[in-house]
Order: sequence, then structure tokens, then C-alpha cells
Amino acid sequence: MNEDLILQHGLTLDEFKVIRKYLNRDLSIEELGIFSAMWNEHCCYKTSKKWLKKLPTDNEIVIQGPGENAGVIDLQDNDGIAFKIESHNHPSYIEPFNGSATGVGGILRDIFTMGARPIATLDSIRFGLIETEKTKYLLNGVVNGIGHYGNCIGIPNIGGECEFESTYDFNNLVNAMAVGHVQKDKIFYSKPKSIGGLIVYIGSKTGKDGIHGASMASDVFSEEDEDEKRPSVQVGDPFMEKLLMEGCLELMSSGLIESMQDMGAAGITSSSVEMASKGNVGVCINLDKVPLRQPLSAYEILLSESQERMLAVIDKKNNHKVREILQKWQIDYEVIGEITDTKRVVFESNNKKVVDLPVEIIVDDAPEYDREFYIPRKRKNKDFDFSKIKLEDMINNLLTNLNYLDKSWVFDQYDSTVMGDTIREPGQSSGIVKIHGTQKVIGASTDCNPLYIRINPYEGMKYTVAESYRNLIACNINPLAITNNLNFASPLDPNIMGELVLSIHGLKTAAIKFNTPIVSGNVSLYNQTNEIPIKPTPVIGMVGSNMDLNKINTNKFCEIGNKILILGKQLTKNFSPYLLQDQKITFNICEFNDLEVLDLDFEKKIANCVLELSDLKCIMSCNDISRGGIFSALLKMQYKDMGFKVKVPDPIDLFCEYSAGYVIEIRSKDFEEVTSFLTKKGAEYLEIGEVIKEGIEINSKKFDYFDIMNKYRNDFEKIIS
Amino acid sequence: MSFKSAVITFPGSNCDRDALCYLNDLTKGEVHNIWHEETSLPKVDLVILPGGFSFGDYLRSGAMASKSKIIHEIVKHANDNRYLLGICNGFQILTEIGLLEGALIRNKKLKFLGKNCFIKKKFKNNFNLSIKDNQILQIPVAHNEGNFYCDTETLNLLKNNEQIAFEYCKGEFSNTEENINGSIEAIAGITNKKKNVLGMMPHPERAYSDFHQSQDGRLIIESLIS
Repeated sequence: MNEDLILQHGLTLDEFKVIRKYLNRDLSIEELGIFSAMWNEHCCYKTSKKWLKKLPTDNEIVIQGPGENAGVIDLQDNDGIAFKIESHNHPSYIEPFNGSATGVGGILRDIFTMGARPIATLDSIRFGLIETEKTKYLLNGVVNGIGHYGNCIGIPNIGGECEFESTYDFNNLVNAMAVGHVQKDKIFYSKPKSIGGLIVYIGSKTGKDGIHGASMASDVFSEEDEDEKRPSVQVGDPFMEKLLMEGCLELMSSGLIESMQDMGAAGITSSSVEMASKGNVGVCINLDKVPLRQPLSAYEILLSESQERMLAVIDKKNNHKVREILQKWQIDYEVIGEITDTKRVVFESNNKKVVDLPVEIIVDDAPEYDREFYIPRKRKNKDFDFSKIKLEDMINNLLTNLNYLDKSWVFDQYDSTVMGDTIREPGQSSGIVKIHGTQKVIGASTDCNPLYIRINPYEGMKYTVAESYRNLIACNINPLAITNNLNFASPLDPNIMGELVLSIHGLKTAAIKFNTPIVSGNVSLYNQTNEIPIKPTPVIGMVGSNMDLNKINTNKFCEIGNKILILGKQLTKNFSPYLLQDQKITFNICEFNDLEVLDLDFEKKIANCVLELSDLKCIMSCNDISRGGIFSALLKMQYKDMGFKVKVPDPIDLFCEYSAGYVIEIRSKDFEEVTSFLTKKGAEYLEIGEVIKEGIEINSKKFDYFDIMNKYRNDFEKIIS
Repeated sequence: MSFKSAVITFPGSNCDRDALCYLNDLTKGEVHNIWHEETSLPKVDLVILPGGFSFGDYLRSGAMASKSKIIHEIVKHANDNRYLLGICNGFQILTEIGLLEGALIRNKKLKFLGKNCFIKKKFKNNFNLSIKDNQILQIPVAHNEGNFYCDTETLNLLKNNEQIAFEYCKGEFSNTEENINGSIEAIAGITNKKKNVLGMMPHPERAYSDFHQSQDGRLIIESLIS
């Protein structure tokens, strides 16, 4: 076979040799296409597998860990929660609207494929500097796309993050997370149950879109590539997905299907191969039966990534009933093959076998690399000069930085209250929805701290997990489990590979300590363009619960006159990376001063105090302290024209980052009870001030409340327009 | 006699379940869910056309749904002087059927708008609403095409007949807008001439339960029951 053809398919010549040797014959072009799809990073995790295996994936509440369409955890009674996060980075750069829309579509299918009804989505989106011409176009397109898909299908968007940083100029990130509710005795898996079961195709017709999308997602970009690659981006139709979701959920609850697979990345190829591999069986599919939108070759059908399609296995006797239900929902349905006992993947077209491969070579023999990696070098210590910085400048630096401004412009484009169960909307420390018909609530948060991870991948990742943890704790939500989306640059660079390896170790350490196993995830590598790698961005989606919706906290001020307390430990000025970067103390923050070691036991201790005080109804409102310190946390807590009056030894302290940091609002009458509780637990606290009406006052200096609030709330839109 | 009601589901409706819960919880009476292909409607006091993206909003929001089989029965129900409430996409469908005047075009800023909004009653005696004159209701909106538009002649008609039910207004605190989507005269909801058909963009079914941010949406159903 022609070497160029092999390389164009994203396989190395060594990888091809392995296949050739195993089969001891030449491959058909369709077979080459299959290996191209199945052996790329996106499908087989060839670079990350070795390290991902080290993550904790199980505990007493995990029903399904990684390996299925989504992870599932136990929420007592018959309630299970399915959730997963997935990236659509490269497609969203090439075509932001459809790239992000289909990202949401894909993750929702992962959830309802498990038999779960999606009840919430979140997202983590990152862009380059707003001064870069393209960023505005990307931001508008991505937000519009996420909104378009989620709003139309009618799943509330309950939160996420949106950040701007120069390394994402040519590699914006779009990670979409979905959460679903499933009855524990009605979970569906991709493993087929019986030989002879019919393989059926459900959903949209197959077209040319997305051919080679999965291998595209694993390529390094160069700028000229963009236009050439546009046809590879899938086009989404949320209306079709809504019908597909209702149709599939009805089929599942009627007990008419055995198993189901989403035709996601690499379409019918990966869904059928996975089905065969999970069930340790074979599949035989007639490609002539696949419903088509336009004439396509066998090769194109195999690799099409047309959206809104499912592959299911049913018992022959249910064929008629399945057809009837899908007709009601106006969904295409076709029997295209059957489950065999051959342990081979066979595709036929025009009465000819175009693909005939053992499952083993595609799945089990997929390459796994142990790539070289470097440990980051030790950073020099340096004392920075803080003497010139004034309080006014520090406030101004935050209010002119998009990362600190209120993101309502983004969230208001999402429907966050559809389904009628939303309790906390985007913009709070975590999004919260009620499990329909119960008193139970689910909270979720997506977070990443790329700057910390660049400085120290291991410690930085611990901080990232701790940030998600604190976001849930602040609302009185018990953290339960994690989904992760590892976004990195090229792993062929040992420095990048080092960040990948060490951050996975940090994730492991924190997840074990917090007893929050990783139940699903996704890896997105090669996020670099023109030799500029993105900052390491392993995003965490953490899910937690409270069994009683009346016990959760708000993040917003409740009442004028209430006291404001700070819990946790401040990072020293010289070791507070976002302070140094965003207050423009230094421009090469990554060169100096390592991160302070994060004491996870201390995180747990303080978190337990917050949870206990919340249950005692002593906490009126609570917010976690992260980027931008206490000041930023207080800004986020303003509500109904309530502000704050605080006194601190040094105003810079208000802008430093924290470990286990929380701002809590308590009633004066509870002050004794709260402080003696904290003292008894050995948790230090700082009483810094109180909630006031329409004012912001720091160390007796009064600021114009409405001027600051106006900038905080409205300047985001001004800057990005 | 107990209050009977129904919610119509079109392909792409996504607030039908919410509307069913709203009616179940507040009316405590019989509540039916009717599929758009049905050709008969049980005799009920109130029908809700729910929000969502019926038929994917293809062609024009509400246009395809207005040709569904069940619409014939909906018109009969309205002509029978019974209550008919269209929420969001339901409002759009009512204007497409012609039961309500005007049209809902894209929001002024050309962006989807999902947030809390504030509305107050414009004229009395619409849809039996018992809401105090200056009472400000907080109810969420979620729409792309909620910008109410009609020509001057129609607007005068709506005013002369006192058919404007709700208008958007500022809330109690700063940073709330007078007119969130650019609607003509900030119109958020209108009725037909006989005042038994109401179309509104805000979603009262998302503001009634104790855990919702506001319970003001209760007023609409409570007015009808009393």
C-alpha cells in the first residue's frame, strides 16, 4: 500500500506494519479507513492509556466507571446519575457554531444511550485574547452553537466556565458536559446480549459530513489548514436529536431493545466495533441498507460522522413494535445487520465483503505508547515588589479583565430553567438541579486552573480538583465523582507529556483523598498551532448531591447587617500566581516561585466545617475563594443591591488566592455559635466585615457601588462587542 | 366541579412536561396530555400550548405546528369561550393560527434570551387575571423570537379593546431592563378580543414551586380556578 495514503490516514508506518503482519495480506481502502478511525488518539487513547489506568475509578457508589458511553453513580433508592464531559475543540475552531453545537449533541447522546434522561448540561470554554481578531468571532459562534442545540432540545444549561488567555488564540477549547437521571434497574449498556440479534440503525440519514473528524481531532493544526478542513465538521440538527431522544427513551422504557451505541466520532465504524468488542462477538453489517442522504461509497459510509444517529441491537421478534414507535417520532429506522459468533467485524457492500477483520486486531492490538516525558525544572524563588500597587489599581485591574467580569452575556444565551427543576443557575459556584419528583438535588461544576498546572502540574491539578470540590461544598453539596477532559498540546514534546503524566498523578492523589472516583472522561491532544502549545488544561467536571433541597446554600448575599467571615488559608503574596499575573506584578510568572503544596486534609477539614454549619442552618450564603481572592468572591455575592464593608490588615490580602478558602455570611445572632464551633474544630477564621446596602467599603475607604457593579455586570459585553 | 385542563405536545415541544406539572400541582384536577395528531379534544376548561421548538422552528416559529391536526379542535375550544393559554412557542403558534394578532420576531439584540424578567399587568379583565394594578411579577423568559410586533392599526386595536395583558418593566433593583427584547410598547402578552385566549412569552410554569426563584406564575392558574 502507498505510503502517502497510509500517512494521510494518520497512521505511522510502524503502526501499519503491525496490521500488515497480523493480517498477512493487503488491506482494502475501507479497512485502512477503519484503522485510521480506531487507532487515533481520540478513539484508542494510545498516548494516555498507560497513565489513565492509574486513576481511581471505583468506590461504593460507582455503578459504571470509564469504558461505557457515560459513567453512572448511585444516588440511593432507584436513582442513578449518568454523566460525562467531552471535547469538541478542533471542530469548534474550524466552524464555531456547528462545532460547538454538535459537541453538545454528542454528549447528550452519550447520556441517553445509557437509558438516562439528560437533566443538565455544563460547559468549559476557553478562548484567546479578545484583542485577537478571531476571538470575537469564535466566542460568538461557540456560545450561539451551545445555546442553539441545548435550548432547542430543552436541557437546562446550569453552569460552566469561560476564560481568555493568549495560548488559546489558535486553539480554542470547547468541553461540554451532560448529566442525566436513570433508574438503576433500567441502565442500558453497549454490550449486545444474544447471537443473532438484529443490528438496527436509528436516526438521521448518513451524509458526507464529518468524514475523518475523529482523526482530524488528533492532528496538529497549521493555519492554512482551516479552510481545507471545513467539510469535516459535522452539522447538527437539535430538533432531530429531540425526536431521537424521546424515541430512544420510549424504546428503552418499553424494554424493546437489548443494547445501544451512539454513532459519534468515527460513526458506524466505532459503534459497531465497540459493540462487538464489548460483547466478545462479531458483527455483520450490510452497508447498502444504511439510510443515505446522498450517494456515498462504502468508505464514506463507514467514516461519516453525521449526527443524531444510533445503533441498537434488538430481538427479531420486536422488530415490528420498534418500527411503530419510531414512526410516531418520524425517525428513520432500518435493520442493517446482525450479531454473529465470529468475533469478526464484517461490512458488505454490493454483495462483496469490503471489510473482514478480527475484532482483536482493531481493539486489543491498538497501539499503546509509553512516550518520553520530562519533569518540569525547579523554579527559582523571587521576592516581588508590591510596594507600588494601590487598592484602586487592583480593583481596576480586575474590572478591566474579562476573566473577572460577570459572564451573563454568555449564560443569558442559554436556557437554564427549562424542565422546571433548576435550583441554581449559571454564574453561581455550582449549578444545581432537582431530581424530578424527589427532594434530591444534583450539583455540578466544571473547573480548570491552567496557570497553576503549567507552574506545577502535580500540585496544580490538586488545586483544580480542590476548586471543583469547594464549588460544590460552598452550596452544601457533597462531592461524589468526577469526569475529566484532558486537553493538552502535542504529547510528542516530552515537556508536554510531562505535564500530562504529572497532572494525572495530581488528579489521582486528590480524587483518592476526596473519595471522588473518575467515572468517565475524554482526552484531547495536539492542541497546538504554529508551534504554540496551549497551557495544560485538564478540565474537571465534579458532581455531588444533597438529599434535601431545603438544605442547600445560596452564593448570594441574604441580608443587610449580616457578618462576613473568611475560612481557609491565604497563599502568600509571592506564591499567589493569579495575583502576580493579573495584577501585572510580573510578566513571566511561569519562571519563578513554585506553587505552595496543597494540604488536602486541610481542604477536607474546612469543607466538613462548611457542610456541618450549613446543616445547622448557620450559613446564610457562602462562596468559594479562587482566582481574584476574597474581593472577587465578594463581587460575585452581590445581590439585590447589597454590597460589603470590610477591614483587613493589608488590602493586597483581598486579592490573594486561598487553599480551602470560603467566604461565609452569618447572622450576628449566630456569631457565637459559629465561632465556637470553628474554634472547637481547630479551624481558623477571620471576621472581616458585614453586608451593607448599596456600598463597597474597604478599610474605611468608600467606593462607588453602582460604578463598580455597572462595570462588573456590563463591561463584558462592551469589551467583546 | 373540578377544573379540567390539557397540554398539547408537538414534536419539538420541550415545556410540555413542565406545563403538565404546573397544572397538576396547581389545579389538582384532571390534566390531559394530547399528542398533536389527535383529532379530538376532551372538554376541558383550559388548554395550554407549551413552549419549545415545535417542528424545530423550521420555516418560522410556530408555523408548522399551526397546521397540525389538533389545531382544528383548539380553535373550536377557543370559539367555545374556554380558556386557551399559549406560552412562548405556544404564543407564536397562536399568532400563526390567527387566534392572536401580531407576530413574534427576533429579539432586538438578535440573541437568545434566557433570564428572569419582570412584567406587570397592562389592562384589567384579561383572561380573568386577578393581579394587583402595580404588582410586578418575576417570571423567566427563554426565547429567540419574543419581540412582539404589529402595525399601528393593530396596536391601536389592541389598546382600544384593552387586549394587552402584560408589559415588561423594571424590577425593584438596579440592573433590570425596561424592555428586554425590543417588543413594541414592551408588550409581553396579549389576549384575543373576547379575552379568553392569552399568549405570553414569559414562562409561568417555571415560577410556581417553592424551590423556584419566584412563585408569581401561580397567579395565572389561581385566577382561573377562583
